[in-house]
Amino acid sequence: MTRIAVCIVILATFAFPLACDAETPGRIVSLAPNVTEILFALGLGDRIAGVTTFCDYPEEAKRKPNVGGISNPSLERLVALKPDMVIVSTDGNPKVFAERVRSHGIPTFVFRARTLRELPSAIRELGSALGVPERADHLAQNIGLALSTRFARHSPASQGKKVLFVIWPEPLIVAGPGTAIDDAMKLLGYRNIAADSRSPYPKYAVEQVILQSPDAIFFGKGHRDMEPLSRGLLKKLSGVTAVKDRHVFFVSDRLYRLGPRVVEGIEELAACLE
Amino acid sequence: MSRVSSIFFLLLAILVIALSLLLGSHSINPLHLSAPEREILVAVRLPRVITALLMGMALGTSGAVLQGLVRNPLADPYILGISSGAALSASIGLLVGVYVFGTFSIPLSAFFGASLISAIVGILSWRRGTILPERLLLAGVGLSFLLHAVIMLLISVSSQEGIRRTVLWVSGDLSLADWPLLPYGSVFILGGFFLSVFRAKALNALLLGDEIAHSLGFAVHRERLILFVAISLMTSASVALGGIIGFIGLVVPHMVRFFAGADNRLVIPLSALYGGVFLCGADLIGRSVLPPMEIPSGIVTALVGSPYFLYLLSKRNILTVSS
Repeated sequence: MTRIAVCIVILATFAFPLACDAETPGRIVSLAPNVTEILFALGLGDRIAGVTTFCDYPEEAKRKPNVGGISNPSLERLVALKPDMVIVSTDGNPKVFAERVRSHGIPTFVFRARTLRELPSAIRELGSALGVPERADHLAQNIGLALSTRFARHSPASQGKKVLFVIWPEPLIVAGPGTAIDDAMKLLGYRNIAADSRSPYPKYAVEQVILQSPDAIFFGKGHRDMEPLSRGLLKKLSGVTAVKDRHVFFVSDRLYRLGPRVVEGIEELAACLE
Repeated sequence: MSRVSSIFFLLLAILVIALSLLLGSHSINPLHLSAPEREILVAVRLPRVITALLMGMALGTSGAVLQGLVRNPLADPYILGISSGAALSASIGLLVGVYVFGTFSIPLSAFFGASLISAIVGILSWRRGTILPERLLLAGVGLSFLLHAVIMLLISVSSQEGIRRTVLWVSGDLSLADWPLLPYGSVFILGGFFLSVFRAKALNALLLGDEIAHSLGFAVHRERLILFVAISLMTSASVALGGIIGFIGLVVPHMVRFFAGADNRLVIPLSALYGGVFLCGADLIGRSVLPPMEIPSGIVTALVGSPYFLYLLSKRNILTVSS
C-alpha cells in the first residue's frame, strides 16, 4: 500500500509541472518592435522588462529599459535584466543571438511570422508560450477576421490597379516581395509594380517607375516629413498616371511592422483609392 | 599616338555616351520615342550621364594632377582624405536626417566635409612656405583612417535604414543625379579642370624636381598650391554629386599615359575625357546587369578597374609618372 502511495506521489510531482501550462513569465525581453506591440496588445505591458532602441509604440514602450539595436542587441544588458523569457523574431535579429541567449539558460521564443497570413498563428503560438492563450486567440481572431473580410470585399474600382509603395524617395527604395506591404496590396487586389524585384526593399530604378506608370503611389512615413523630400522624385515622375491623376498618398508606417496595427494600415491603403 | 587610334578612341567615347543614354533597364530606340521614353531620357538619363561625365572628368583630372604633384604613381585623389571627409559629413546628414536644403542637403554637406578636410590636410602639409608632397600623402592617409573610424562608429549606432542609405551613398550612387545640382557641380569641376589644363606645363616641370622647375622659371610653391586647390575643388564636387567612386583617379591617368605618353598637356585633358567615359560605361553596366536593381557604380569601377590595372601592370612597367 505504502509503495503504491509513494509511486503516486512521485508521479504527481512529475505530472504537476506538465499539467500546469506555461506560466506567464514575469520578466519578458522583446527584441523586435512588432513583438513589443503585440505584447502590449496582449495586456502584458507591465511584464516587459526590456525592449530595443527601436521599440517606439506604444508610448510606454519607450520608457522600458533598452537592450540595444535589433541586429546588435547587447547580451550583457539583456542578461543583467534577469529575464524569464526572451522573444526574438526571424526578421532582423541575428540567428546566432537566440542560441547565445539560450546558452545562458534563458528560455527563448522565436516569433515566426514573415507574411500577413502567418501573423494570426504566430500570435497564437506566442500566446500559449506566454500563458495567455485566450487573449492571444482573441487578438489573432480579430486580425484574421479583418484580413479575410478585406479579401472578400474587393471593390471593383481598385482591382488590378498598379501601385507602388515608396519607403524612401532619394535614393528610391520601395516595398518589394516578401513584405507585409506587398501582402496588403495583394489582399486589396492591387498590383505592386515592384513585386518582381529580388529583395524585400530594393533600390528601384526611377526609369522603371516612369515606364510602368503606376495608378497610385504611396509614400510611407519615415522619421522625417516625407512631403518635401518627395518633391524631387515626383518632379521626375510628373508624366506618370499616379502623379497626373493626383493619386499620390502619404500614409503612415503601420504596415512596416507585423503587429496589431497592420489592420489599420490596410484600411488606410484601401481608403485612399476608394 | 597615331591619328587613327585617336579617332578610334574618340569614336569609342561617343559610342559609350550614346549607349548610356539609350540603354539601361529599358532600351530606347531614338527613332521611335514614346512619351514615357522621352521623360526617361530627359528627367533621368541625361542628368545621370552628365553627372557621370563630370565626376569622371573631375576624378581623372585630379588623379593625373595628383600623381604628378606628389611624384607617386599610386596616388589617387582619395588618398588625401577628401573622400573620407565628404563621406563622414554626408553620413552624418543621412543618419541624422538633415534635409533643410531639400535635394541639396546631402551634396552640400558632402562638399562642406570634403573642403574642410582638404583645408586641414593642406595646412598639415604646409612647411617652409609650401605644401610638401610627402607630408601631403601622410597627412591624407592619417586623416582618412581617423575619419573612417568615425564613420564606422556612426554606422554601428544607427538603424538598419540609416545604415543602408549611408552604405548606398558611400559606394557611389548616381541615381541621385538631378538637374538642379549640375550647375554647381560643373562650376567647380570645370573650374578645376581648366585650372589644371592651364598649369599643365608647370606640372611637367614639377615632375623634374623642385630645383629644376624653379630654374625653368616656375614659382614652385604657388604652382603646387594652385594645383592642390584645383584637385580639392574637383574631388569635393565629385563626391558631393555622387558619392565615392574609386579607381578612376588611379587607373585612368595610367591608361592614358600608356597610349599617349606622359606629357601632362595631353594627359590631363585625356584623363578628363576618358575618366568621364569610363564612369559612364561603369554606370551603364551597373544599371543593365540586374534590372530593375542598380549596382552602385563605385563597385563596378573597382571590379572592372582593378583587373585591368593588374593586366596593364603585367604587360609592361607602366608604373611611372614621367616618361
